[in-house]
Amino acid sequence: MTGAATILAALAVPLAGALGILLAGRVSANLRETVTLVTATLLAVVVWSLLPELMAGARPAVSVAEVVPGIEIAFRVEPLGMLFAALASGLWIVNSVYSIGYMRGNNESNQTRFYTFFAIALAAAMGVAFAANLFTLFLFYEVLTLSTYPLVSHKGDAATVRSARVYLGILLTTSIGLFLPAIVWTYIAAGTGDFTPGGILEGKLGGPLLGLLLGLFVFGVGKAAVMPVHRWLPAAMVAPTPVSALLHAVAVVKAGVFTITKLIVYIFGVDYLFGQPSGEWLLYAAAFTIVAASAVALRQTNIKRLLAYSTVSQLSYIVLAADILKPLAEVGAAIHMVAHAFGKITLFFAAGAIYTASKKTEIAQLAGIGRRMPWTTAAFTIGAFSMIGVPPTGGFVSKWYILAGAFQADNYVAIFTMIASTALNALYFLPIVYLAWFGREPEGAKEHGEAPFPAVLALTVTATLTILFFFFNGPVIALERQLIEVWE
Amino acid sequence: MPEYLPPAVILIVAALLIGPTRGHVRSAIVLLAPLATLWAIWQVPDGVVLTVPFLDYQIEPVEGSDLRRLFATIFAIMAFAGGLFSFRQARWYELAAANAYAAGAVGVSFAGDLITLFLFWELMALFSTVIVWAGGTPAARAAGIRYAVMHLIGGVILKVGIEGTVVHTGSIDIMPVLATNFDTWMMLIGILINAAAPPVSAWLADAYPESSPTGSVFLSAFTTKTAVLALILLFPGEPVLIWVGIYMVMYGIIYALLENDARRILAYSIVNQVGFMVCAVGIGTQMALNGAAAHAFAHIIYKALLFMSAGVVVYRTGKSKCTELGGLFRTMPLTTVCGIIGALAISSFPLTSGFTTKSMISDAAASQHLVVVWYLLAAASAGVFLHAGIKFPWFVFFQKDSGLRPKDAPWNMAAAMVLFAVLCIVLGVYPQPFYELLPYPVDYEPYKPGKVLFYLQLLLFSGLAFFLLLPLMQRTRTISLDTDWVWRVALYRVAYGIGAAAGEAGGLLRETVERIRGDIGRFGRRHLGAGESGQDRGVFSQAWPIGVTALWIAVLLIAYVVVYLL
Amino acid sequence: MSGQPERDDRNDRKDRDHWLARPENIRLLWRGFWVVLALTVAAQIFIPVKGHFVVDGWLAFGAVFGFFSCLAMVLVAKALGYSLKRDEDYYLKGGYLEDMEDRDA
Repeated sequence: MTGAATILAALAVPLAGALGILLAGRVSANLRETVTLVTATLLAVVVWSLLPELMAGARPAVSVAEVVPGIEIAFRVEPLGMLFAALASGLWIVNSVYSIGYMRGNNESNQTRFYTFFAIALAAAMGVAFAANLFTLFLFYEVLTLSTYPLVSHKGDAATVRSARVYLGILLTTSIGLFLPAIVWTYIAAGTGDFTPGGILEGKLGGPLLGLLLGLFVFGVGKAAVMPVHRWLPAAMVAPTPVSALLHAVAVVKAGVFTITKLIVYIFGVDYLFGQPSGEWLLYAAAFTIVAASAVALRQTNIKRLLAYSTVSQLSYIVLAADILKPLAEVGAAIHMVAHAFGKITLFFAAGAIYTASKKTEIAQLAGIGRRMPWTTAAFTIGAFSMIGVPPTGGFVSKWYILAGAFQADNYVAIFTMIASTALNALYFLPIVYLAWFGREPEGAKEHGEAPFPAVLALTVTATLTILFFFFNGPVIALERQLIEVWE
Repeated sequence: MPEYLPPAVILIVAALLIGPTRGHVRSAIVLLAPLATLWAIWQVPDGVVLTVPFLDYQIEPVEGSDLRRLFATIFAIMAFAGGLFSFRQARWYELAAANAYAAGAVGVSFAGDLITLFLFWELMALFSTVIVWAGGTPAARAAGIRYAVMHLIGGVILKVGIEGTVVHTGSIDIMPVLATNFDTWMMLIGILINAAAPPVSAWLADAYPESSPTGSVFLSAFTTKTAVLALILLFPGEPVLIWVGIYMVMYGIIYALLENDARRILAYSIVNQVGFMVCAVGIGTQMALNGAAAHAFAHIIYKALLFMSAGVVVYRTGKSKCTELGGLFRTMPLTTVCGIIGALAISSFPLTSGFTTKSMISDAAASQHLVVVWYLLAAASAGVFLHAGIKFPWFVFFQKDSGLRPKDAPWNMAAAMVLFAVLCIVLGVYPQPFYELLPYPVDYEPYKPGKVLFYLQLLLFSGLAFFLLLPLMQRTRTISLDTDWVWRVALYRVAYGIGAAAGEAGGLLRETVERIRGDIGRFGRRHLGAGESGQDRGVFSQAWPIGVTALWIAVLLIAYVVVYLL
Repeated sequence: MSGQPERDDRNDRKDRDHWLARPENIRLLWRGFWVVLALTVAAQIFIPVKGHFVVDGWLAFGAVFGFFSCLAMVLVAKALGYSLKRDEDYYLKGGYLEDMEDRDA
C-alpha cells in the first residue's frame, strides 16, 4: 500500500469499525467486542506499517480536498505524528481488552454506544496526528472533543452530565474562542497553515505579537491542560475508567500536547522562537502548572482526581520540554508522550480494576489492598514510579532527555522545576504505595479478589511496557531524533 | 552472554527468588547468594570489563580496581552476615529488599560510568525505603516516606549534576573532579545527602531506628558507605569535605550524648563515623584515602555488630530506650560481650579493627600539617569512646537493674554477632593481609608502642570522665530538635497556609462567578427561552467553570499585554 | 522451718545476683581502674610518645586531652540540650505526614 493510501486507511478503518460495532451490537455483545478488537488490531497494523518509511526519512503525504483556495484538508506523516498515531493505535488494543473486562465487570449499560464513539474518537485522533496543516488539525481536534462527550457522560445521571458539560464547555470555548482565531491569524500572517520544518512565522511575525499568538495557541489548545484551562480534566473523571485511560494516556491529552509541540516545531520554529523573548512566558506557565497541579494533587482524596491532577502536571512537562527549545529537550518532549502514556494508562487501569473488584474510589480505602489484588497493586506501583521518574521505568528515560535539553539551554528554571516536581510526585504517590502494601485492612472489610481477567491482563501489559521502555527505547529515540536533524 | 556478569546481578536474582520460595530453600538463597557474589567479586579484573548501550551512551556496568573490589567485598560480607542474623526472624519482603539493597551497593562499587552509578544509586534508595517501612509501625511509615522523599531529592540532584557534566563535557566517565561549577556542586550535594551530611543529617537518626530489629542492621551499612566510595572516586582532595566531615563528627557526638533511644544513639554514631571518612577524603592524600577505605571496611563490621546487639535487645525486650533498659548483662552475656567488642572497635581501642584503620586518618592529617584538624579528630576519638564506646553498652546492658531478664540471642543472631566480633579482633590484631587489599601501598605501622600508649591514655581517661560525669548524663524521655524541624514543621505550616489562602481566594472567585452565572442564566431563560434540560442548553447555562476559565484567560492576556508594553 | 527462709532469701538476693552487680566487686573494679590509669601515664616515662605537633608528645598529654575534651563535650551537649530537647512525642503533633495519617485512619 502506498503511503497516501495508508494514511487514508488509518482514518477509514476506525470509522468503518464504528459502523461495524454499531451493527454488531444489534447481534451480540461478543460479536461487537470482536469487531472492536479486530478494528483496533487492523488500525495498529496499518499505522505501524508506516514506520519503516518514517525511519528511512520519508514523509508520506496525501491531499484530500480543497475547501477554499489555499485551505485544504491534507495529511502528512512526520516523526511526531507517527509517534502519536502509533501510540494511540497500539494502546487502543490494550484499552479495548481492558474495556471488555471493565464494562462487563460493572454491568455497564449502553455498551454499544460506548464502543462506537470510542472508534470514532480514535479516527479523530488519527486525523490530528497526521494533519498536514492547521485547518485539518483543527477540524479533527473538534471532532475529537465532540466524539468523546458521549463517552464522558456515559453514566447518564445528573451529576455526570453536569461534569460532562464542564468538559465540553471548556474545550469548545477554548478551541473556538482562542485556537480558531489563532489559526486564522497565522494563515493571514504567514500566508499558509502548512506544518513546515523550521516554522513558517520567521520574518512574518515577531515581538510581543508573537508571544500573544503563542498564548492564544497554548490556551486555545485546552486539551494540553495548561493552567488555568485545565479544569475539564478533573471534571472528566466521572467517566468510566476506560474512558479516563483513553483521555489521559491515549487520545485526548496527548492530542493536546502533541499539538503544542507540533506548533512549536513546525509553525513557530524552534530556533526562531528561541531568539524571541516574548515566547519565554510559556516556560513559566508550564513550570507553574507542573508545581501547582502537583500541589493540588497532594490534597486529593479520590484516586482518579489525584491521577487527573498528576496528568495536568505531567502534560506540562511536555510543554516545558518543548519550550526549552533545544534539540534534546524536543526529543524528551516526544518521548515523554510515550513514557507518560504507558505509566498513566497503567495507573488508570489499576484504579478502574480496584473499582470493579471492590467499588472503592477513595485513597483511604486502599489499606492493605496489595494483599487482595497483588497484580493490580504491583502495576500501580510501577506506574507511580514512572511518574516520579525512578529507574527502571520509562519515566526515567524521558526525564533524562528533558534535563539534558535543559542543560543545553542552561535553563535553570526547568532544572529546578524538575527537582521540585520529583519531590512532590513522591509525596503524593508514596503514601498510597505504602498504604496498599503495608496498610492494614479495617475489621469486617468486604472480601474480594482481583479484577476480571481482561482488566488484569491489560494492566499487566502496560506495566510491563513501562519497564520495557526503560530498556528498549532505541527505535523511538532514533525516530524522534529525526525531528532535530532538521535544524541541527 | 557477557563474559563478566555484574556481581550485583546475583543478589538481584536472589531478591527476586526470595518471595516465591519457602523454608530451607529460601534460607539457602539468603545465605548462599552473598557468598556467591563474594566469589564473583573476586573474579572481576582491573579495568572496564563490560559495556552496554543505553540511551545514547555506552555505559560500563563493570569496572574493576582494588578500591572497588574492597568495597564490594565488605558489602557482600555484610549481606551474608545480615542475612545470617535475620533469616529466621525477618519478613520475606525485608530479606528480599535487603538483597536488592545490597545489590545496589555492589553495583555502585563496580560502576564504570556515572550513569550506571546513578541507576544503582536509585535502586538502593528504593529498597532501603522498603526496609524502613518493614518496621511496620505508623512511625515507620511516616519516617519511610520522609526518607524516600529525601533520597529521591538527593537522587535527582545527583542526576542533575551528572547530566550537566555529561552534556557539558561529553563524557560519562567517573573521574576525580573538584566542586567548581554548578554541575560538580550538584553532584557533590547529591552524594553528600546520601552521606548524611549537614544540613540534612537528621534523616539518618529519623529513619534507621524505625526499622525492624533486623532491618537496621542492613540499613547501617550500605547507603552511607557507597556515598563515601563515590566521594573517593569523584571528589578526592576536595577541601570543603574536611570541614563537612569535622562538623559531622561533632554533630554525631553531641546528639548521641543527648539521646535516649539506643538505636538512635547508634544512628547518630554513624554520622559521626562517616564524618571521619568524609574528612579523610577531603584530605586526599594516599594515606588519607587508604584510611577512608579501611575505616569504611572496619566500620561496616563494627557498626553492624553494634546494631545487631541492639537489635537482639529490641527483639527480646521490645524496648529500645535507655530509660527503660539496663542490667541486661545478667541474662544476655553473649550479646553484652559482642556489644562491648563492637564498642571497643568503634572507639579505636588497641587490638580492635578500629585501631588499625581509623588512626590512619589522624596520621594523614598530621602528615599534611593540618593541626586543627588533627586535634579535633583526636578529641573526636575521645568523644566516640564517650558516646558509643561506653555510653551505649553502659546504658543498655549495665547502668541499673531494669528488672528485665530477657533470653540471650537466638542461635543465628548469635552466630552473626560472633562472626563479626571475631573479625573486629582479627583485623585489630593481624591487619597486614587487610592492608594488602587497600587501594594504595601502605607503609603504616599501627602498633608502635608510643601510639598505642597515647591512645590508651586518651581512651581510658575518657572513660574516667564518663563515669565521673555520669550524674550529668542522666537519660531523659526526650528527643533533640534537628534541622528536620524545618521540613517537618515549618515548611508544612507554610504550605498549609498557602493552601488555605488559595482556597479562600478560590472561594471568593467562585462566589462572584456564581452570581454572574446566575444572572446570565436568568437572562437566557427569560429572553432566549433556554430551558434547564437538554445538552445544548447545558452548554450555555453551565457557565461557571467556563466563566472562571474565561475570566482567568482574559485577566492573563490583559496582564501580559500590559506587562509587555510597559 | 520458719527461722530459715529469711536467711535463705537474703542469700538468694545477694548471692544469686551477678558478680558484676555486687557492690564489693564494683569497688574492686574501680580500684583496678585507677591503677591502670596511673600505669598508662607512668608508662610514658619509659615509652616515648612521638608528638606530631610538639605538645602531643608531652607527658600525660593523651590523658589530659582525652579527659578534658570529654568534659567539654559533655558540658556543651548539656548546654545545647537545654534549647534542643523536646518531649519524645513532639513530632506527633503538627507534622504534615502525621496529619495525613489521621486522614487515612
